[in-house]
Amino acid sequence: MNRKTVIGLNLDYQLKSLIGAVIGVVSLLLPFARTGEKSYSAISLFGRLISSDASSKAVVLLYAAVVLTVISLLLGALSAVKTTVQGIKAWMVIQAVATAAWTLLMFSTKSILEKAGLANGFLNKDLMAGYFIGLVAAYFTLVMVMKMTKTNVGYIALTILGIIWMFPILWIVLTAFRAEQGYYVGYFIPHGFTFDNFLKLFSADAVLPFRRWWVNTLIVAAASCVCNTLIVLGTSFTLSRTRFTGRKAFMNVLMIIGMFPGFMSLIAVYNILKGLGLNQSLLALIIVGAAGAAMGYHVSKGFFDTIPKAIDEAAIIDGASRLQIFTHITLPLSKSIIVYTVLGAFLGAWSDYIFPSMLFGDKQSSYTVAVGLYWLTDFRRIDTYYTQFAAGAVIVAVPIVILFIWLQRFYVEGLSGSVKG
Amino acid sequence: MNSIAKKRNFITIFTKGDIFSKLSYIVLGLANIRNGQIGKGLLFALMQALYITFMVLAGGRNLANLTTLGESLQHMEFNEAIGIYEVKPGDNSMLILLYGVVAVVISVAFIALWLFSIHSGENARVRRKSGKHVNSLVEDIRSLTNENVHMLLLSLPVLGLSTFTVMPLFYMILMAFTNYDQEHQPPGNLFDWVGLENFGKLLSAGDRLSATFWPVLGWTLIWGFAATFTCYFGGMVLAMIINSKGIKFKKFWRTIFVITMAIPSFITLRVVATMLGERGIFNVLLQQWGFTVKALPFLSNTTWARFSVILVNFWIGVPVTMLMVSGILMNIPEELYESAKLDGAGPFTMFRKITFPYMWFVTTPYLIANLISNFNNFNTIYFMTGGEPNTLEYFKGAGKTDLLVTWLYKLTKDSNDYNLAATIGIIIFAISAVFTLISFSRSGAMKNEEGFQ
Repeated sequence: MNRKTVIGLNLDYQLKSLIGAVIGVVSLLLPFARTGEKSYSAISLFGRLISSDASSKAVVLLYAAVVLTVISLLLGALSAVKTTVQGIKAWMVIQAVATAAWTLLMFSTKSILEKAGLANGFLNKDLMAGYFIGLVAAYFTLVMVMKMTKTNVGYIALTILGIIWMFPILWIVLTAFRAEQGYYVGYFIPHGFTFDNFLKLFSADAVLPFRRWWVNTLIVAAASCVCNTLIVLGTSFTLSRTRFTGRKAFMNVLMIIGMFPGFMSLIAVYNILKGLGLNQSLLALIIVGAAGAAMGYHVSKGFFDTIPKAIDEAAIIDGASRLQIFTHITLPLSKSIIVYTVLGAFLGAWSDYIFPSMLFGDKQSSYTVAVGLYWLTDFRRIDTYYTQFAAGAVIVAVPIVILFIWLQRFYVEGLSGSVKG
Repeated sequence: MNSIAKKRNFITIFTKGDIFSKLSYIVLGLANIRNGQIGKGLLFALMQALYITFMVLAGGRNLANLTTLGESLQHMEFNEAIGIYEVKPGDNSMLILLYGVVAVVISVAFIALWLFSIHSGENARVRRKSGKHVNSLVEDIRSLTNENVHMLLLSLPVLGLSTFTVMPLFYMILMAFTNYDQEHQPPGNLFDWVGLENFGKLLSAGDRLSATFWPVLGWTLIWGFAATFTCYFGGMVLAMIINSKGIKFKKFWRTIFVITMAIPSFITLRVVATMLGERGIFNVLLQQWGFTVKALPFLSNTTWARFSVILVNFWIGVPVTMLMVSGILMNIPEELYESAKLDGAGPFTMFRKITFPYMWFVTTPYLIANLISNFNNFNTIYFMTGGEPNTLEYFKGAGKTDLLVTWLYKLTKDSNDYNLAATIGIIIFAISAVFTLISFSRSGAMKNEEGFQ
């Protein structure tokens, strides 16, 4: 067979792409949706809607799907005659937009048809073969064209998954800026945007002591960053780099303790703190957090295990003490695990809910952000405070997300180091 | 440390030692003082004096009270002077149990100190006899930065753990053998030891409690496996897509998914829970988009709610696995893939024959740890559904999506059935222990395999 070859393209998929494009155009003529007795094809809908003026904004998607599917076939035919890399790439872009339009039609056909007065109480089960064939053909063509240009097909999956993953987060952010108060709103994008929700949280005369909660959490987070990190690193260094009687036993005891559900003992902890006169105070939160920190030694121990023993031995010959090895050799080599541990302690303080909620009871002034925000989502308050809750959530999330993105590399290194060990 | 002293146990030290060694079994630190470690010996003696004072003043009575958990009940007594009935406080079983546990823990710590002092004294004696240098107190303290660095670094964690983890845990475990439930609340009432009755009630067939316990346990296991494996495979596939050749802006894609991980989980879970409500945004949109006429019972119907929590957990858990797996994927030798490609293997075969076995091999311990933590995944369930939908089939506040842990929490917080909560805690421990043992036997087998090649 006489095959054409173009550098940068894989022409094995050209025929399949063309078939896909043809099926796409054919599907435009098949029945697209039915309303009552009647059914419309995409083309006939296109014709009707473009001449009427009562239409929703979403109708653009229908136009795009129809027009781009046709253009896609034309581009495909053109590139079959004269194959160039640019031509195929243009085809790919057009096809990608067409596919997006086809997909979004699933979410907007109802409003398109109802706004145009063509249907009443339309449901997606009234979509017909024309739509589904068109949808599948669009994806098929897109995949084939992408294979032709040797583009990774993973982009399609990543785009779809990314949208799903960002959806709730987008909702929090939009709600935080929403001018209309209340929990139950019948639309996704707010009608008005405002900063009021944030200002209300931080204003001096706020009903909610959010400022106080924020400062409390910051204090606890900062303190537990220092205490927990020192304790975790100290414990894991000792368990990883030194050998002493009872080492195995100690690790076994920690493992056994770890198998009990942690908050089973919270009642007792609460009573002990009461006995010590520490209940309802932030100090108690810090102390209890630090006291249990050693339980999380695994990840950093795994990391320390990967540092060659020979380094320690050389240092001992040079007269270094074990403590000096820890502070002068092991720690400087373990930047990623330090960051990992600090980040973990910091995050923990922001998201720990059960213990603080039990500890503080109804003493609102010492709530941490987690307890306070959860308190806001109680069904009696949710309607009043939903937008403020979202604003609070954004305020909590933003610094952590920034930290996280910035330090992601360390996080991955820390985690994978532990798994290797 | 001296090897001779190390070989001895505390019986042979007694029989082989001199009179000071023998006496130091009763008065701690005598042997140390005799053998030149005066400061250390005095410290031991001081600790012993403190312990004895504590036991005489409070500890002894606390220990004795443990057997009965209090006898005198709170009651009304007629005060003839004023002419009215007065409340006379009785014993508080809860505090008696707590103080008793404190006394037990302190006694155990003292026994450890006792053993340590005996060994330390013997060590000093042997060294002095063989003419070696006996460490002074200052030298001992200095050794904390060197050969005894573990004592320095672990002292704080051990102290913290024993006060705020071991002691409370011991206290709660004991509670499983009492009848500290709704009807026996101190200070108004006493509670008492009941042996294994609570376990009997929960596990035996026919009791109302066991009719709740077994279904909850069943759902806990289903949830654990479903949550773990969906996230595991989802995360692996996602990591493979992001890390595959030809994907640009890897960091950007990773960040998109990692954001869900960076936001504290109680926030995302609360938000998603409100979104899934009957009038939440999901239902609004699904109706606007024409997928459904009526609101879907995402969280109010048992089956729907169970699928919803697994799905939401997938949404939260996949990025975690993705991050972890990303690191391991990069460790898979590239030659394996190249030679597979030469042999004509497609991407699916390569996954089945190379990627997956490698991942499985490296991550089994992680997977089992994850399974255990999912059995105990309090956050997802509590913040999403709070255990709802409620049902009349279950007893004591348990709902259809409640796991054992969330039920445990409700038992302590809402109905104050501490004995049942403690019993469930012990059962959870047993389940975790079984899976940990499996994990251990697996990783032992893997060590013998000596690497996947």
